[in-house]
Amino acid sequence: MLLQQYRELRPTLQKLSDEAYNLLRHALREQGIYITAMEHRVKTEKSLMGKLELKGPKYKSIDDVTDLVGLRVITFYTDEVDKVAAIAKRMFDIDWQESVDKRKLHKLDSFGYNSLHYICRLKTGGPRFELQMRTALQHVWSTIEHDTGYKGDVKVPDVYLRQFNRLAGMAELMDDEFSRLRTVLTDYRRQTLALVKSGKLDDVPLSRDTFRSYLELHPFDRLNKRIAAVNQAEIWPVSVMSYLPVLESFGMETLGQVQRFIDENSEDAHQLALSQLAITDLDILSSNTALQYLCLVYVLKHDGGRDGLKSLYDLINGENDANGIVADMMMEQAKTLPFMR
Amino acid sequence: MNVRIEEIDGNVVAILEGNLDTAAAAETEKAMSPLNDVEGKDIIIDCTALAYISSAGLRIFLGILQNAQAKGGHVYIKGINDNVRAVFTITGFSNIFEFK
Repeated sequence: MLLQQYRELRPTLQKLSDEAYNLLRHALREQGIYITAMEHRVKTEKSLMGKLELKGPKYKSIDDVTDLVGLRVITFYTDEVDKVAAIAKRMFDIDWQESVDKRKLHKLDSFGYNSLHYICRLKTGGPRFELQMRTALQHVWSTIEHDTGYKGDVKVPDVYLRQFNRLAGMAELMDDEFSRLRTVLTDYRRQTLALVKSGKLDDVPLSRDTFRSYLELHPFDRLNKRIAAVNQAEIWPVSVMSYLPVLESFGMETLGQVQRFIDENSEDAHQLALSQLAITDLDILSSNTALQYLCLVYVLKHDGGRDGLKSLYDLINGENDANGIVADMMMEQAKTLPFMR
Repeated sequence: MNVRIEEIDGNVVAILEGNLDTAAAAETEKAMSPLNDVEGKDIIIDCTALAYISSAGLRIFLGILQNAQAKGGHVYIKGINDNVRAVFTITGFSNIFEFK
């Protein structure tokens, strides 16, 4: 009888599965919550039969089976499980009698399946559905545990169950450490950004993150605009991050050193760019032009010569013979400039 | 200015010949526009016979690159002469494209 009810209900369940999935996906996106994956499914008849075989007497009607439709949200971090849950509470009516936070079911000295399960209903009514929320590590653990432990043909010996539970403990520890690390890094980024904004650049080590924050101050804009003014050129925005290894190769360790590098070389970089561009009618430049000429001047001022320029272009463009030709051309133009004397 | 588009070894190859100056830009842009429809294949702009490129030419290349990157594709520039390479370098675009 339950199976017959299930068959009649199936189109409704499919619609519910799609609707609940789309509603939640949209809400998560709106709230800017990045998740690893989101899945949804309608329970298959075979799976339902298996469930009824095991727990049949528990169910009086098909409505008593709460996971005919299942949604699963897999997050990166543990605290995001709670954020997803908060959103779900707002989106759906939650059946608190049936919902369970498996993370809180373990005794102090036990580890195992960690997942938050809500039994929900759309605000507009209809059948209930199950929403599982867990981290990627919890998901991996439970998927493997399910695959290995519930085959049913052979009872898994206690010694192996203990190994699974040890791994669950390890996954829990890793989840906590990832969350802690994220908090520490977020604080570090915030502090660094504050230092950058307050101008205490000598206190900020040069790294990918700090350089990105520094770029928010548009440190190359002034020189770019001066160079662009030569031919009233348009400045085409591109990423400047590829120049970070170049600055590091110059031995720069703080943003203060980068700022001094700009201050001390801007005039000569402008002169070098002028010598190249004034004889052309090129009226489009990339936004890393200023930094490119700053780097060229820096190499030349530090007696890098033609080989230094070639190495610089190898770093910027990747190694190739043509970089030697460009280095020769740049050397030829640069040798007449005042800073080379 | 001549433009030929062919499919070679699973890549879409645009073969350019002549001077890509301001006067030739509009016609060249139109001839290269099929490259904007390429999906799932790499684009190669063969510049072996390209003698000169102007800002207008650079803009065409940048447009093709932008379009391809938005679809996860690659644009390779092949066989450029020293003059054309100099234009890419002094305008700061030499590390934006992939050269073959």
